[in-house]
Amino acid sequence: MSTASDAPTTIALIGNPNAGKTTLFNALTGANQHVGNYAGVTVSVKSGEAFSAHGNKLKVLDLPGCYSLRANSPDEKVALDALNGQLPNQPKPDLVVCVVDASSLERHLQLTLQVIELGIPCVLALNMVDVAERTGLRLDPVKLSEELGIPVVPMQANAKKGIIELKQAIRFPLPAAPHAHWATDPDHAENSRRAFITRLCELAARRPDAHQQTLSDKLDSVLLHPVFGWVAFLGIMFTVFWSIFSFASIPMDAIDGALGSLGEWVGSKMAEGDLRSLIVDGVIAGIGGTLVFLPQIVLLFLFIGLLESSGYMSRAAYLMDGVMSVAGLSGKSFLPLFSSAACAIPGVMATRTIDSAKERLVTIFVAPWISCSARLPVYFLLIPLILPKEGGAWQQALILFGIYLLGIVTAFIVARVLRGRLGPDKSINHFLLELPPYRLPQWSYIFRHVFERAWAFVAKAGTIILGLSILLWALGTYPKSDSEDAGEQLAHSAMGRIGNVIEPVVKPLGFDGRIGTAILTSFAAREVFNSTLSVIFNVESDDEEAAESLLREKVSAATWPDGKPLFTPLVIVSLLVFYIYALQCLPTSAVVAREAGSLKWAVGQFLFMTGFAYVAALIVYQAGKLFGF
Amino acid sequence: MPSILADDLRIDSAMTLNQVKAGCDVRIRLLSGPSCDRLRDLGFCEQLMLRKISGGRNLVCSICGTRMAISRELAEQVLVSPVG
Repeated sequence: MSTASDAPTTIALIGNPNAGKTTLFNALTGANQHVGNYAGVTVSVKSGEAFSAHGNKLKVLDLPGCYSLRANSPDEKVALDALNGQLPNQPKPDLVVCVVDASSLERHLQLTLQVIELGIPCVLALNMVDVAERTGLRLDPVKLSEELGIPVVPMQANAKKGIIELKQAIRFPLPAAPHAHWATDPDHAENSRRAFITRLCELAARRPDAHQQTLSDKLDSVLLHPVFGWVAFLGIMFTVFWSIFSFASIPMDAIDGALGSLGEWVGSKMAEGDLRSLIVDGVIAGIGGTLVFLPQIVLLFLFIGLLESSGYMSRAAYLMDGVMSVAGLSGKSFLPLFSSAACAIPGVMATRTIDSAKERLVTIFVAPWISCSARLPVYFLLIPLILPKEGGAWQQALILFGIYLLGIVTAFIVARVLRGRLGPDKSINHFLLELPPYRLPQWSYIFRHVFERAWAFVAKAGTIILGLSILLWALGTYPKSDSEDAGEQLAHSAMGRIGNVIEPVVKPLGFDGRIGTAILTSFAAREVFNSTLSVIFNVESDDEEAAESLLREKVSAATWPDGKPLFTPLVIVSLLVFYIYALQCLPTSAVVAREAGSLKWAVGQFLFMTGFAYVAALIVYQAGKLFGF
Repeated sequence: MPSILADDLRIDSAMTLNQVKAGCDVRIRLLSGPSCDRLRDLGFCEQLMLRKISGGRNLVCSICGTRMAISRELAEQVLVSPVG
């Protein structure tokens, strides 16, 4: 036993991106993992527990993928810090497992040699030997081990082959730190490493023919084709969106129905009073408003997981690089912005893969402009009001398309301007992307990923929305009036009074105090707009569809005190424009503050987007009035 | 050393990776430019063979069995000579 203390032995997994580190990490630790994010650090280090072949407890760290220890990007800085034991709450690793892709040893061994030069005990996990052998590569692990002076374990982590051998290699006492015999001249470290790798590969990894036409090559000839590639890309994106919107409605209705029944059941079991109202109208309704979007988020993450795990996502980023450059961004911003169409929170979190710090900030800043699913309830309530009659599905679809387009175009323009103002990066970030071979999706990994993200959404968004729902409920309930009428009660309450106060502010946009109140309550989460209007216009119905059409009827009948109709088409367009642009989502602001590493950035984004929304709606309404609408 | 390289380049009629036609196999002769270190980290090293798969705004090449997409500016820093 080498460790005198009770602390488990720490082993770190390091390797190039796509070498199979996470697969190995999951195979080693099973479900027993936990994800830790460090504030101010752009990437995360996963840690989990495993046992060695002799039953010793191991702490396994999964370091972010990196190409070298030169610390060029935030990922590489984290990896280097982890190896030197400079990460908070993480001990210096006792042993490093270098995960390499056996089919491209010439490239992956670079990092291994650098790790050996650090003087840390090391084991080489020669992953994906099946792929290497299929391409005709003749590997000699024994020769590799002799030359490098470290244990070499051939393995196939995705099929859990070689895991036991790897655990046996992590035996006690730990293998001694190897001697970096190639590093004779510190001035030419790079050259001596390169020469050693070339010699080593000639000895232990002979390639029959460097370029064979693999299945991935054949697929790429279509999927990266200048014409067919775009057709395939648009087809895939359309399928993803269509599936999200059509399949998610079933579980969404179920969640909605279940929460409605829960509210009724709790309501029937409790005595009438403020506590019942708090639980039914505040807590259950508030949480329900968030949970109802869970199916869409789960589906989106499922598709993103599928696209990533199959290897297509990097092709999409490659294709989109030209389009994104119009906004001054690179192809790497595509995935975060694409995710934002479901919800800006995962979109903002996905910006971690962007190398350039400034590009990352710009992407975070504009992500909420891509219309997310939380805006849909508002759009669906308002769009039919502009159209003369019921029906006209294609007209509705056209308006919805225009709304999405407006958001995307604005995001691109703002990104372009902001990117120009931030100036160039300190170090130039060239577009650089590894296109991994196409693989069959790893379902266990995808499901775990989807579950993690879904849980993060429920936990984070849920807690903030819960707090705000209670606050909003209190504002709408107190002070109490004697009236039984819900509308009068709301007018009497703090919220109603706030509405009166803000009416002069929203009047130039064509809104009255009631719409102002609904906008105000929906600042925490947009979907609250519909429920506030239901309260204001006193719509009560058990059947949801009936309630919606009743609300629409009451809304279209609403008038100003002088009898003029309130919701004219112009007012609705102005309201839609406001909802396209305003950042009414506190959970997003919370995530932006964390990911951008400063509260200032989140506050600035909130104020800018709200101001932008106000001015845009003002221009639409005033210009519309001028033209006689 | 530099004079030998210069001779090498002249003899081999080196060109940048951008100038190579898609589908051609080439051998890397020299990396020269500010992003050399980055390129080396990714496996672009002297004497290695690579195949350019497609050109355009960013180009795709296959190196040691891996496909990499790199920008034109980076490809400009990779000097290559044709194989065979």
